[in-house]
Amino acid sequence: MKKKNICLAGFCAALFLFGAAGSLAVWFRPHGSWVNVMQDGMVLYSFDLSSTPDQTIDIEYNGSINTIQIKDGRIRVLSAECPDKTCVHMGWLESGALPVVCLPNRLVIGFAERESVDAVVK
Amino acid sequence: MRTQRLCCLVLGVLFLFTACAGQDAQTDIAEENKTSFFAMDTYVTLTAYGKDSREALSLAQGKMEALERLWSVTDENSEIYRVNHSGGTAVEVSDETAALLHFALGMADKTGGALEPTIYPVLTAWGFTTGEQRIPTEKEIEGLLAAVGYDRVKTEGNMVLLEQGMMLDLGAVGKGYAGDLAAEVLRNHNITSALLDIGGNIQAIGAKPDGTPWRLGLRDPFSGGTIGILQVTDAAVVTSGNYEKFFVGQDGETYGHLIDPASGRPAKSGLASVTVIAKEGRICDALSTALFIMGADKAVEYWNDNMDFEMILITDEGEIFVTEGIADSFIVDDAHSDMSVHMVGR
Repeated sequence: MKKKNICLAGFCAALFLFGAAGSLAVWFRPHGSWVNVMQDGMVLYSFDLSSTPDQTIDIEYNGSINTIQIKDGRIRVLSAECPDKTCVHMGWLESGALPVVCLPNRLVIGFAERESVDAVVK
Repeated sequence: MRTQRLCCLVLGVLFLFTACAGQDAQTDIAEENKTSFFAMDTYVTLTAYGKDSREALSLAQGKMEALERLWSVTDENSEIYRVNHSGGTAVEVSDETAALLHFALGMADKTGGALEPTIYPVLTAWGFTTGEQRIPTEKEIEGLLAAVGYDRVKTEGNMVLLEQGMMLDLGAVGKGYAGDLAAEVLRNHNITSALLDIGGNIQAIGAKPDGTPWRLGLRDPFSGGTIGILQVTDAAVVTSGNYEKFFVGQDGETYGHLIDPASGRPAKSGLASVTVIAKEGRICDALSTALFIMGADKAVEYWNDNMDFEMILITDEGEIFVTEGIADSFIVDDAHSDMSVHMVGR
């Protein structure tokens, strides 16, 4: 009887530790580094910034080109042939709630996951 | 027996762990739906919670797209385009357009012309509407300012009369007004928790589904990140600044898109950004532009005379002024803790 109780207690302790570790992993999981590059609502590219090598990509829309740069685990619009260059002025993508947007070329670069704020006022 | 009781306790705690972790994975008791689209010359993301939220969002999106068709300055089929190209004859507009116009003209009057719905020709001369930015000559600006003046727009009911050569652009209030009407659509569909992000103009319906306030990042006008967190419930929040739409002229000077109607030149009021918090998006939209042009002293004076909004001013020197009604809801990021924050009281 005593041996049976010890086994039961051991099983429960193992289950407890496993559950606690799992719960903590969910609570403290790192924010995703995946970003989506979308045009007119369609995902053109998905990158994991933590593993994507430095590169530039040209994306064309009605003859106008945005050059996207990925460097040191960050992403931005390096240059654009759009009239206002707002997307270039926005700089590196910093927040899940504030995507880099090029309105004339219908381009949106954003994190695939949300961050600690619900939206960014700008 | 004691061991078995202990085991039950352990399993109970384990259940709580699992339940809490599960809640993080799907915070919500309510169903979340989201839609993103281009409208009102910006990128819009609407998020709503509740069982009817998908249908409600679709209707809200439809409403915003319909309003854009009415208010676009460049769409030849819009009502504003018809007014602007009427050659000095009266034009009948819809109830929505008439209401927007009356609101814009009222705010222009209330702000002493700091908000100027007829500044469009000057804005165009600077190239902010065409993408071909340039510095117009003083003579050119002087000539264009002759066709600017909100008090010369004649309205009677839904009839609008604009002098030949004048042009209306309701862009400074249109997004806020459209946000109010989209929020009304959602409320009419019993949505009690939603966040409307209209290109950075925020309209919050209620609180988050878990009852906590919405957490809004406030854009740092000096870099790409945020400067702090503002927590709001059932409120609209709009920021105006020159940090995104600007160009550097051949003279090396930076020229922003917010034009001071008094001079016809980009406003240099000492402010880097103005954030307005109020019940209605239209008020926030109109005031964020007007107060930016007024500058800090006049903005505080205006706030003292009008009780229906709160504001956060950030100066070119990096000082932050927060009005007392919102001070407890605004927290500066650790990274900006060196910036001096001043509370503005009545």
